[in-house]
Amino acid sequence: MTDRSDRVRHRIRGAQRRLRRILRVARWETVRASGGVDRRTLLAALALLLVAGGVLGGGLAAGVVGLDVDRDVYRVAVDGDSPYADAVEAEPSLTAVPLGSAALGDTADLVVFDGRQSGSIETVAVRASDTRKGEAAAAEFREAVKAHNERLMAAEENRTAAFPITVTLQYIGRTSGLDDGSTLGGDGSESDGGSGRASGDDSGDASGGTDGGLTGGDTASEGSGGDDGDNGGFAVPSVGGAAFGADTVGSPGSISPPFPFVSLLLAFVFLVPMNFLIQAYGSSVLDERTNRRGEPLLVTPLSPVDIVAGKTLPYVALAAVVTTLIAVAVGGGALSVIAVLPVALTFLAATFVGAMFARSFKELTFVTVGVSVLLTTYAFVPAIFTNVTPVALVSPLTLVVFDLQGEAVSVGEVLFSTGPMTIGAALLFGLGLGVYREEDMFTQKPVGRKFLDALAVRLSAVGGPNWGGRSLRARLRALAPVAFLTACTIPFVFVAELLAVALLFALPVTVSIPVLLVTIAFIEELAKSIHLYAGFERGAFARTDRVAVAVGTASAVGFFLAEKATAVVQAVGLTELYVGRAAFGSVAGLEGLPPIAVAGLFVAPLLLHGFATTVAAVGASRSRTYYVLTLALATLIHAAYNFGVVRVYA
Amino acid sequence: MRNRDSRLTIAGRELSGLRAEKTILLAIAIQLFIAAFSSFLVVGLVSMYDPGSLGGAEVEVAGAGDAVSDLERAANEVGGASVTRYEDAGAARLSFDRNAADAVVVANRNDDGGISATVTAPDATVETTVIVVQLRDLLRTYERQERADRAASLSESPLPLPERTGTSPYFTFTYTVLIPVLVFLPVFISGSLVVDSITEEIDEGTFELLRVAPVTLGEIVDGKALAAVAIAPGQALLWLLLLRVNGTPVANVPSILVLMTALTTLVVALAIAISALAPDRRAAQFLYSIGVLVLFGGATAMAGGPANAVARLAIDSGDATTTALVVAYVGIAAVAYVGVRTLVAENGFEK
Repeated sequence: MTDRSDRVRHRIRGAQRRLRRILRVARWETVRASGGVDRRTLLAALALLLVAGGVLGGGLAAGVVGLDVDRDVYRVAVDGDSPYADAVEAEPSLTAVPLGSAALGDTADLVVFDGRQSGSIETVAVRASDTRKGEAAAAEFREAVKAHNERLMAAEENRTAAFPITVTLQYIGRTSGLDDGSTLGGDGSESDGGSGRASGDDSGDASGGTDGGLTGGDTASEGSGGDDGDNGGFAVPSVGGAAFGADTVGSPGSISPPFPFVSLLLAFVFLVPMNFLIQAYGSSVLDERTNRRGEPLLVTPLSPVDIVAGKTLPYVALAAVVTTLIAVAVGGGALSVIAVLPVALTFLAATFVGAMFARSFKELTFVTVGVSVLLTTYAFVPAIFTNVTPVALVSPLTLVVFDLQGEAVSVGEVLFSTGPMTIGAALLFGLGLGVYREEDMFTQKPVGRKFLDALAVRLSAVGGPNWGGRSLRARLRALAPVAFLTACTIPFVFVAELLAVALLFALPVTVSIPVLLVTIAFIEELAKSIHLYAGFERGAFARTDRVAVAVGTASAVGFFLAEKATAVVQAVGLTELYVGRAAFGSVAGLEGLPPIAVAGLFVAPLLLHGFATTVAAVGASRSRTYYVLTLALATLIHAAYNFGVVRVYA
Repeated sequence: MRNRDSRLTIAGRELSGLRAEKTILLAIAIQLFIAAFSSFLVVGLVSMYDPGSLGGAEVEVAGAGDAVSDLERAANEVGGASVTRYEDAGAARLSFDRNAADAVVVANRNDDGGISATVTAPDATVETTVIVVQLRDLLRTYERQERADRAASLSESPLPLPERTGTSPYFTFTYTVLIPVLVFLPVFISGSLVVDSITEEIDEGTFELLRVAPVTLGEIVDGKALAAVAIAPGQALLWLLLLRVNGTPVANVPSILVLMTALTTLVVALAIAISALAPDRRAAQFLYSIGVLVLFGGATAMAGGPANAVARLAIDSGDATTTALVVAYVGIAAVAYVGVRTLVAENGFEK
């Protein structure tokens, strides 16, 4: 009893000591970092910004400033006396050229002939040059005239004649539950749910009339039942709802489509500081590696984990502070901060790995830019589809958009959204930590080879001279890291596949499915075999076929088990989507099949993974060229299998 | 003779360093990714905001109310919407709920001579945006027709619109956003390379070694700048050729390349100046990022900014002003570079 409490106390004291060590490194890092970006630098940055602000302010005052990238790109020949000249003048993208000297296609893209007769204009004719530019100029001109008319009308005394139509726009849901049917082709069987609510909504319509209190969710009794049902389960979030002020009243020109444009832009603001943050962090890590500067730290009793945790802590804290400030500024809540932190962690983790692998600052710059572009895309692209499809939730930024719109989000959705990124960040730190040691830190190698080193560090020896004398248990224990490493790739495979799904989502299904199947097969085969190649190249594995089969099978088993664990995906409803089903076909839709088929389908992926990975492993045990060839072969086998699975479900 | 040689040697050494690390390939891959990403974004956004432009969907509207015949008249003129008349609002609503119609418009005349239209669109589907955009088109046409009927009460009647023509909004985007972005990305990369190259040499102490060699500081700076400026136009040319192969003709390629080379020189001069002021790499990169943001943000916001100049040149709408701009940028870049080089050659880098 006392023994155990002693041990607990001992452990707590150990954790406290470790925390103190980490904090010490963190303090040291803070002092060093703030020494680098000193007061003078900040003053210089401030001066630059002040100059820019002054110039912009002056420009604004002088009226030469405006963010019109398309200023004067189309040249319109129009008579200076014509009323159309005012319309052209007011539109930044159009520039007027005198009618007399204009030559269509050469100095003008569009010529305007107004049929002026005694002051009033009856018709207008335009002649555009016969190019795509001419067409674009004509469309732009039409828009300019429309805008000009709106301005004319806004100045009119007689409001009813100027704006004869008042529009009240309301959004009303007609189905309940997941609406993916209409998202992807539709099954058209939704009428019964809808008609049930028709009467209720109609009465609301009659009584509400013009006051604009008619949004499904807002209205007292009738619509709310159905909408709450929507929000309770996992459903496509309401587009209308509270987010867009629902009912809009105004002239037809004032209608704006329900697209969370502003929220998306604001969500993007959260990503901007990350780029500065990872620049400083990457420099700090690479600094340790140049001129063997990090060596004194390595010989202290501090473990690499302590050092890296301590070095990272100030940047995480800074990210948290900046994110909180932005959240306060743009009107986000705690959810925004919770959603952005995993993104920040992933930015830092990827930069850490990049800085551990890079040979020089120049290389680091490109790695940093690559990291920020990729992660920004990963966070941003799915968020565009926030109101369209549940796939959007793979990006934590989608949670930010929800938060800014004031939508409710369930705990499961938060976990689904932030989980993969958090795990991914942890694994990336683990990968980089493997080479945070003397023999790797201060050597110069291409990034690819460093990556293989970092993978090989985690493997134990398989095969070789003493292999025959070992017990079965020892052999299995040597193979366990292979399976574990494969399992660790699952979050990255998940992320890569979802990125592919999100990017291919916009394509027609006939194109996206085949491309997706091959892409996914390649991602999975690469994830299962790249560390095997590293093992063979770095001499952890003996280059024999028996070893290749053993490690290939171990890797496949690891992948299979981890993939089964992702059945969680199904719980979130992602597999309801057709594209999602193609990606996660092996875990979805087992209901309604005879038991033998279920068992077969359960084991079939294992056989597939085992076979394909063994093929790639045999190639990896030979040479790089063989590996590339067998990897392609394994991808094809896998893609063919996936195609078969999709056919079965379709 | 000796001078030229040592500069070229330093430039060659810089370039071989880039080649060895294959960073330039990574840079091009990143640029390709950005281009694909921004195109994807725009195609996605455009299809949401302007569905008709992509070979449009037809929206089925259930119409009701005492002004519905005028609505039908408007629908005849608009391509993307058709109106089916129902007896009353309830019947129209029922067809909406049964999925027979995409939206409901109930148009009634007011006492004051106006028309109030109550529009019901479906909530929470991917089509909502498409439907609302098409409805807006329909209602604006409707409004225009009603206005024409009331022209007598207006002091100034609206101008007649020209015929509708087919065009792709992607066209303007390609020239005004995509091409400037692709042309300027190599500019930023070159500047960043110079910051890294100089701060790295200062950091590792190799600058001291170079200075005992028979080269002057000015020559070292020249060599580094030469390498950084030399790699920029090639990348831009690659993108412009790629666009041409893709069916987007780009006009005035030589002028665009001259303009972007001048800007690269300007940014490289900025990078050298910053590295001289802040020899610590972190501070230098931070200042460089802010400096470039300020420079380009400010310049883009000005009339005749470089982004707009490139857009006008590429789309072949350049005139004497754009030519003068190119000359002005070349002049500014030359003055800036010579100025920075002189200052650095005299004062050296801090350490």
